[in-house]
Amino acid sequence: MDIIIIGLLLGATYALMAMGLQLQYGVARIMNLANGEMLIAGAFGTFWFYTASNASPFYALIGVIPLAFAVNWAIYRVLIVPLVRRARNQGQLEVDCILATFGLSFILVGILLAVFGGEYLSYSYLARPIFILGEPYGLNRVAAFIGSLVLCLGLYLWLHRTRPGLALRAVSVNPAAAGLVSINVTRASALAFALGGAVTAAGGVLLSMFLTFDASLGVVFTLKALIIVILGGVSDIRGAILAAFILGLAETTVASLVDPGLTLAAAYLLFMAILLVRPEGLLGRRSS
Amino acid sequence: MLESRGISVFYGRHRALEDVSLTVSKGEIVVMLGANGAGKSTFLRAVAGQVRKRDGGSVLMDGHDITRQPAHEIVEAGIALVPEDRGIFADLTVQENLILGAYPRRARPSETENMDRVLSLFPKLGERRKQLVRTMSGGERQMVAIGRAMMSAPTILMLDEPSLGLAPLLCTELFRTLARIKDTGVGIFLVEQNARQSLAIADRGYLLDNGHIVGADSATNLANDEKVRLAYLGA
Repeated sequence: MDIIIIGLLLGATYALMAMGLQLQYGVARIMNLANGEMLIAGAFGTFWFYTASNASPFYALIGVIPLAFAVNWAIYRVLIVPLVRRARNQGQLEVDCILATFGLSFILVGILLAVFGGEYLSYSYLARPIFILGEPYGLNRVAAFIGSLVLCLGLYLWLHRTRPGLALRAVSVNPAAAGLVSINVTRASALAFALGGAVTAAGGVLLSMFLTFDASLGVVFTLKALIIVILGGVSDIRGAILAAFILGLAETTVASLVDPGLTLAAAYLLFMAILLVRPEGLLGRRSS
Repeated sequence: MLESRGISVFYGRHRALEDVSLTVSKGEIVVMLGANGAGKSTFLRAVAGQVRKRDGGSVLMDGHDITRQPAHEIVEAGIALVPEDRGIFADLTVQENLILGAYPRRARPSETENMDRVLSLFPKLGERRKQLVRTMSGGERQMVAIGRAMMSAPTILMLDEPSLGLAPLLCTELFRTLARIKDTGVGIFLVEQNARQSLAIADRGYLLDNGHIVGADSATNLANDEKVRLAYLGA
């Protein structure tokens, strides 16, 4: 039982992170391998904010979200737009983006190392137990879970209930037709990319409440987000949320029943199994 | 009024369209006939801002030069295109497709009226609001595509082979609908291979051959012209 609850608590943060990558890959069509670094940057920012001010890390969201939005917007405009303009087809764009953002991830790791050093960092926030069904759980995990759920729900409602959200989904479904209804695809993609980065960094803020991290941890989260997005199907945000919880559950199950060192290996095993059996993802459709 | 003045399009060194001039006014139906590969779709895509036009020609909408405008600005100028592949959002619902049609700034104030108008043209779309477009038949998808274009409150509606792939009965219904849209004051420019039915509802027509306009006349004269009958009407 406690495995299921810890898995669900973890899954919500994963879901938030996956929604970030989903916006970047599903709408803007940019496979961003520097996604995990954005998450870690959010965690570092929160660490710095918390140790300096001792205010609740939730307040760090107020600064981190707009800052990450602006940084990712700039990355899209400066680095990605020239690649989009130059690419002759989607395949070439994908290769270019993977190389460019892979390079970018090293730059970001370098900046984080230079600013914060190479230490493992963590801080103590709400580090007391809360009892759910008689079992103790870290209150910080529960707080991060609730924060993630609220952000996920907000993002989901924004995407499904507002005109700009609908426009982003239209670009995701059929970018060629988006111009026919007067959607500026470049601008919509920049918005999706920036929003995706902001959501990912917000995931970092929440994760930092219970996680020990260092500058090189980003790539682990990039890979996790990648697994979730592929697992859930590239075009469906509900699939990604489902996949995030599956990954959270699978990781905690393996960590507590087999060996904590095997969590990432288990995640990949799951990933490969899905790729072999349902390459279109859990909720994805086979493209005709 | 939509006015094309001598526009040309080249794909690499291949000439797809050369020196095409024509006009479409509000409240009339103009049809362009031509064989496969004559350049009909290229012309529509050039007007809609989806392919690059050669320097020299120009496209005017009510006197404003829109030659170099990007596709999303051309919709704002009042030109809506229903492409040959319909260009609809298959993974979204009928209602979402129609709301997206009203995304242009020009269409937002009149969104409710336009929705009412579209639903009276296609009552079926009203019953199917929540359905994913992907699960609909070809004829229903065509309704969604035309309905969505009408949601942008266009001055000129352009359609690329709208009858393609439709059963004969649906074809007749489609052309009847286009005539009703014309009666609301919208100018319609359509590219068709179904020459007989399109000339029957059209006011004027142009003949396109190998990237050039080779004839222009009233629809009645074209329908009775011996050469046109041989080339496009199969009689």
